Amino acid sequence: MTASATPTRASSGALGRLARRPEAGTLLGTLVVYTFFATLGGATFIGAPGWSSFLNMAAEIGIIALPIGLLMIAGELDISVGAVLPAASLTVAIISGHYDLPTWIGILGGLAVGLAIGFINGLLVTRTTIPSLIITIGTMFGTMGLTLGLTVLIAGSTGVFMTPDALPKAALGTFLGGMYQVTIFWWAGFIALVFYALHIAPWGNWIFALGGDRESARNAGIPTARVTIALYMFSGFAAAFVGVAQVITFGSAQVAAGQAFIFNAIMCVVIGGVLLTGGAGSVIGIVFGTLTFAIVNQGIFFSGLDPNFGSIIIGALLLIAVMSNDTFRRLALSAAAKK
Amino acid sequence: MTISSLVRLPGMGALVSLIGVVAFYVIFGGVDVVTLGGAASWMNFAANLGIVAIPVGMLMIAGEIDISVGAMIPAGSMTVAVVSGYYGFPIVVGMLAALTLGVIVGTINGILTNRTTVPSLIITLGTLVAMQGVILTAAKLLTGEASVAITAPDWAKTIFGQLITASHQIIILWWIAFALVLGFFMHQTRVGNWIFAMGGDRVSARNAGIPVAKLTIGLFILSSCAAAFVGVCQAILFNSAQVSGGMGIIFNAIVSVVVGGVLLTGGFGSVFGIFIGTLTFAVVNQGIYFTQIDRNWSNLIIGIMLLLAVGMNETFRKLALSAGRKPTIAR
Repeated sequence: MTASATPTRASSGALGRLARRPEAGTLLGTLVVYTFFATLGGATFIGAPGWSSFLNMAAEIGIIALPIGLLMIAGELDISVGAVLPAASLTVAIISGHYDLPTWIGILGGLAVGLAIGFINGLLVTRTTIPSLIITIGTMFGTMGLTLGLTVLIAGSTGVFMTPDALPKAALGTFLGGMYQVTIFWWAGFIALVFYALHIAPWGNWIFALGGDRESARNAGIPTARVTIALYMFSGFAAAFVGVAQVITFGSAQVAAGQAFIFNAIMCVVIGGVLLTGGAGSVIGIVFGTLTFAIVNQGIFFSGLDPNFGSIIIGALLLIAVMSNDTFRRLALSAAAKK
Repeated sequence: MTISSLVRLPGMGALVSLIGVVAFYVIFGGVDVVTLGGAASWMNFAANLGIVAIPVGMLMIAGEIDISVGAMIPAGSMTVAVVSGYYGFPIVVGMLAALTLGVIVGTINGILTNRTTVPSLIITLGTLVAMQGVILTAAKLLTGEASVAITAPDWAKTIFGQLITASHQIIILWWIAFALVLGFFMHQTRVGNWIFAMGGDRVSARNAGIPVAKLTIGLFILSSCAAAFVGVCQAILFNSAQVSGGMGIIFNAIVSVVVGGVLLTGGFGSVFGIFIGTLTFAVVNQGIYFTQIDRNWSNLIIGIMLLLAVGMNETFRKLALSAGRKPTIAR
């Protein structure tokens, strides 16, 4: 049944329809959190400094959170993104910085690393019965070790510098208006692409079906293995993309970067209403979840509160999402059942 | 015990991994086994990790996971430091406060797991982040600092935080005691059997009269308290609360448990296996300093070992299940 994924069709009244959408709670959360920090942070937070700081953060996490969300809708996890990100930026820095080749070759190399790791993840997940959590922890450790070992072997240190060519710098690493990173627009592009893939394209339903019931999905003729591998390659690609954008923006790559993205991306997705229960979720929810996360994380610095207080808010938001999940689910399913 | 029944033990894969890793270090890294065996670094590492890994593994056998332990180690150490160090209450009060905090967090994890359909990974991710914020904010509000000093009385230092032979932490003995007690509990008592039944099939277990909800809460309390206990021991040993750190232990504990032959989907595993899995992880992680191999490669070795061990455990599990099935077919 994919009816649970699109519960809105069978309900009465616009308000009831809105309340039943999984992202309704997320949208409310975003507004509450923004109002809270706008009150505390005042003009600086409402103005460009505030918006640029949380949009810059949201764009980087958001590009990774989208494919993580798709995977979670399909019932899988990807921990390895935290290692793919530095692996990709170091690949760019080594190819274009250490060996001084044109920047676009480095970018292709970095993205290829992401796709390759994603392919390995997908292959292992579909060919074995081992849970994806364990497989991607394994590839995370493996990639971290390879990145560190090879970087020290080739470049002799754990950080590599590079000066990107003008065109890639303009496309991936500029600050518009002095403070808005160009990755924000890339994020918008990713959102449009994923929205089309999940909610408009015919095979978006396959992803929901995969998370709902994998066995039935395969019996219904859905190429489950190919879809899973494609999703993992997408998340590897997205993590690599953020790594590439970072190295182009800042001109250096560090081995230790990226660990924080693992749980942060999952948290954005969870706040966005995708809870790994499989078969439910939406792109809009993930986007607002990411915005909420970024507003709390950056807003705390404008508010004069202790920065650690932000963790309490994030934790509370996560637990609220957990507790309201079943309520939303029941509402959605009961509305669908009435039909 | 025959060889074929030995091979089918859940801890067998872990034992093979351990021997494989040591052999790898000896052959390719030029390790002196006697030096490695006498070294404290990997044993201390294993003990601090192992006390958390055993209850986390028991939860996995029951079909759940707990990543909030990553916040409970600093939480335990901060609680005892604030209560007994900053406010000067007796150390017993501080330790009880830390364990109470463990009970509270474990209960929240357990109740949410029972009452919702959300996987415990997501629930404990929520309590992980919330506890990190709560403990750091509380410490700063109460003491005005991010690190708090504590001086434990001699008897407490002797029991929880002394160094035996100048380098081995006493927590190693606690780890062994934990493993023995919990091993007996899991494999020799009725309740231990229930936990396996829960992980195998939760609904059937409940239908058979097993109090799955209570057991789930109990197991989450055990893992939170074990993590808080490790934090308390660290605070007493180092005379100050270690606020940062603790995040790495999440993945380290999961890897140790899985290398130890526990099935993440529940119903299969052993405390002995988890013990050996933790030892293996510690030897890879700390033993690399005794080799001529560049230590930068240790994560690569861990990743490969994890995937190999899991693959191997799958094979052993198939053997175990096929052996169990034969008598029923014969009948």
